[in-house]
Amino acid sequence: MTDRPAISVENLWQVFGANAASAYDEASGGPPEEIAAKLKAQGLIPAVRGVTFDVAPGELFVVMGLSGSGKSTLIRGISRLVEPTAGRVEIEGEDVLAATPKRMIELRRSKIGMVFQHFGLFPHMSVIDNVAFPLKVGRMSRKERHDKVRPIIETVGLAGREDAYPRELSGGQKQRVGIARSLAGDCSVWFLDEPFSALDPLIRRQLQDEFLEIRKRLNTTIVFITHDIAEALKLADRIAIMRDGQVVQIGTPTEIVLNPVDDYVREFARDVARGRHAKVGSIMQGGTEGIGPDDPGLSPDMTLEDALASCMKLYEPVPVRDASGTLLGAVHPKDLAKALQVEQG
Amino acid sequence: MTTLDAVDSTPWGLSPKLLAAVVALLTGAICLLLQPYAPWLFAFPAGWTVPATEWVGTTLEVVLNAIKPTMRLFSAAIAYPMEWANIALAGTPWPVVIGTVTAIGWHLGGWRMGLLGFVGFLFVLLSGYWEESMNTLSLVVVSVPLAMILGGLIGLLANEIPRLRAALLVALDAMQTIPTFAYLTPLLLLFGFGPVVGLVASAIYAAPPMARNVILGLERVEPEVKEAGVMSGATRFQQLFLVEIPAASRQIMVGVNQCLMAALSMVIIAAVIGGFDDIGWEVLLTMRKAQFGQAFLAGLVIVTFAIVIDRMSARLALERKRFDARISWGLFAAGVAGAILLWLTGVSAPPEGIFGGVADSVDTALGDFTAANGASLDSVKNNAMFYGLLPLRIGLDEAVLPFTWGFQWTSSMSLWLFVAAGLGGALLALTGRPVAGALLLIAVGILETGIANLPWPFVLVGAAALAWLAQGPRFALVVTALLATILISGLWERALLSLYLSGAAVAACAVVGGALGLLAAISPMAWRVLRPICDMLQTIPLFVFLIPVLMFFQIGEFSAFLAICAYAIVPMIRYTQAGIVSTPPELLEAATASGASQTQTLLDVRLPYATPVILLGLNQTILYAFAMLVIAALIGTTGLGQSIYLALGQADVGLGVSAGAAMAILAFIADRLVQGFAEERRKALGLA
Repeated sequence: MTDRPAISVENLWQVFGANAASAYDEASGGPPEEIAAKLKAQGLIPAVRGVTFDVAPGELFVVMGLSGSGKSTLIRGISRLVEPTAGRVEIEGEDVLAATPKRMIELRRSKIGMVFQHFGLFPHMSVIDNVAFPLKVGRMSRKERHDKVRPIIETVGLAGREDAYPRELSGGQKQRVGIARSLAGDCSVWFLDEPFSALDPLIRRQLQDEFLEIRKRLNTTIVFITHDIAEALKLADRIAIMRDGQVVQIGTPTEIVLNPVDDYVREFARDVARGRHAKVGSIMQGGTEGIGPDDPGLSPDMTLEDALASCMKLYEPVPVRDASGTLLGAVHPKDLAKALQVEQG
Repeated sequence: MTTLDAVDSTPWGLSPKLLAAVVALLTGAICLLLQPYAPWLFAFPAGWTVPATEWVGTTLEVVLNAIKPTMRLFSAAIAYPMEWANIALAGTPWPVVIGTVTAIGWHLGGWRMGLLGFVGFLFVLLSGYWEESMNTLSLVVVSVPLAMILGGLIGLLANEIPRLRAALLVALDAMQTIPTFAYLTPLLLLFGFGPVVGLVASAIYAAPPMARNVILGLERVEPEVKEAGVMSGATRFQQLFLVEIPAASRQIMVGVNQCLMAALSMVIIAAVIGGFDDIGWEVLLTMRKAQFGQAFLAGLVIVTFAIVIDRMSARLALERKRFDARISWGLFAAGVAGAILLWLTGVSAPPEGIFGGVADSVDTALGDFTAANGASLDSVKNNAMFYGLLPLRIGLDEAVLPFTWGFQWTSSMSLWLFVAAGLGGALLALTGRPVAGALLLIAVGILETGIANLPWPFVLVGAAALAWLAQGPRFALVVTALLATILISGLWERALLSLYLSGAAVAACAVVGGALGLLAAISPMAWRVLRPICDMLQTIPLFVFLIPVLMFFQIGEFSAFLAICAYAIVPMIRYTQAGIVSTPPELLEAATASGASQTQTLLDVRLPYATPVILLGLNQTILYAFAMLVIAALIGTTGLGQSIYLALGQADVGLGVSAGAAMAILAFIADRLVQGFAEERRKALGLA
């Protein structure tokens, strides 16, 4: 039961154009590249091509890709804002694509929250009415829903602005309203479509930090879309990298940075200071042979950068211990330096 | 859709434009040469037509009679709210009405709007037309909600069921291009004489702007706002009424404003049916009795209504400050107090007009003026007729007579004219402008023949050629089929007459309006003067334009021509000015940096950039001219407008609807032609 993924996406296809469904049925069978080529030959647009992944309960899963890679379409398919052409989407074990319209409305009121890139605030409603809207359509009384959302508004730092209208808010404040609204229904699955992309860098960093704070307290399952590799590495438990409608690699930030699967991913990882994202655990050897006399105090979740700084002058493997001091393995300073080296060319 | 870009392979390697011009020219020339042997090329033989108007009439009468009982029921039902509105408005003491209007004005736009409402309605009161005005207002008050519901439903339907959308948009186009008088006739048959006809007609006429703005507004709601509604778990109904419609409210309010203005305009036009003592009827009555002072006064009352309603409802679409509600209530209370005071002193009836004397003296003064300057007014009119309108209508060969021009047009003169045009055309062709050369020859041919006497094969081929250039071969086929329908239904001559008068008016508007627009674009001073005039002319209901021209030039084609021009010139001025002013600043800076003079910048940068916008202005001008053409039938035009008006008087549904349809066909073709060319220019400039 606990092993069941919170979100499971299987071979999801999103094809745009006339009679997309029947064209897909005819073309299906074979690898996604072949199917996509057949569809394109008919003038159709395969925006998402056979995407498959699972998200564990409580996991923060980031989908990263350039514009046009299909990531926004993917999240709209999973949330059924657009009707996927083929495939399977399960949220907490429930087949979402088979859900009736009535069931979808229930799911959206109680289980799924979504944040939009350009906020999607209702211009004619005050902050508190925007945030309470999911409760209003769920027929909660005015007083009850206002009482319920006031603490949420406080959480996102907008206490005192309840009666302001969206046009009176800054971009950062608008997205705080968007976040609060998506949380109003006590969702357990949270979709965020490039929530910070429209903000300027300083505000973006601030909101990222606050988002991580909120996330710690809520323990929801999150699918987060972004085109910014730094943002993905900072936030993600796991990252899926998309190109041309397909997922080209899924992995932890460390895996993405240290073992890019192809040139496309390598290009992304290139500009990133690896030392800041990769952890000691990723290059730790299991055995304890050859450990030298020095113990600079390495732990598995230390970043490579910090680890290297503390064994600058050492030439023999050093021990890695957990918080209680138990010996877990060893790392050779040479491997540390090698892993940090940015590839040339 | 195929456009000019698609037409790239033509026979003999001619450019599409040249090919079109040459084909039209050859058709015209052949017709002219064959004229002595085949007169049927010019006058379409009556024997070849079918009695289409009768068929339409019979069919419609069957249909109308079938739904008549239901409609009469509806008419009886709707008569109630109208009566109530009438009693309410006419029965409410005038201080209360004025107080309420002032209060609404304050609520919508502060003291400026409050003052506008107060002064406007005070003027209405003092004009002595209070009761008639309240009757008109009660028609508007009942027809506008009907129009809003109808328009709103059409808009929602188009939004919710995308498959219906295209069909509904065509229906809206038709509702707006069919001339206003034309649908009064079937309504008259359905509802009988009386105010209900005007009510229903104005509800139908005012619904399209509402529907269009609802469609546009819902379409323009940000996609993420719609998605946020979906993801919040709203049902489709909740999404529409809690999210999308409120988010589109500004655009919808623009629709309400246009809806109100259209309803007012139509209510006044519907007065020609009679049977209701409203302000439009008053204008008509006084005009018929040649009491122009009174007609002018009643016309001013209509204009006042139009301005108050327009300016106040336009505030709905703006972001508004909130004005203190206590003042609104205070103003209303002041009105009630005034009414009580009047009641106590025993004068509750609205006062006699104080402008009666003024109107009479205007009449006398006008009489004196026309008596004193009759000769010069007549000479203006006659010169315009003999040297401008008449040759355009029947051609130089018939218009040039010893009586007017001092000599008789002879066939040798025609020959010399054609030789001169041929030489000019050849010169143009040799200097690399063959299209201009062919067009010159065509223009001379039209001038020689006259628009009303054009051979029908030439009109069909010419229109098809233009259509081919503007929108491609399919549209050319459509145009030919539509024109052929007019041809065989026996309305051809009248259609050409209508084409001639509106064509002359559009040409005059294009030249004068274009020049004024240019002036307004260059000189902000001129625009400051022209702009309020344009605003004013666009607010005035069509009908009122007839009064001043009648005052000076009496009934006739020239008066109609002037009235059409006065109404149709506005878009030409506006769009020309807007197009030229809106040239992007970096283009102007680039021109200045390249060392262009002011004039060079205007001619080489601003004008080409503005062409698509100016073409859209021309398009509007054409549609305005067609709309006014029908109204102008009241003061004497020939052609389709006259037929529609006559049909109304004789309750001849067949003629009214057929002539109305022919008129709508002409408007439709002109509209699509100009839009096609504007689109092509936009594409060429990379703006589409």
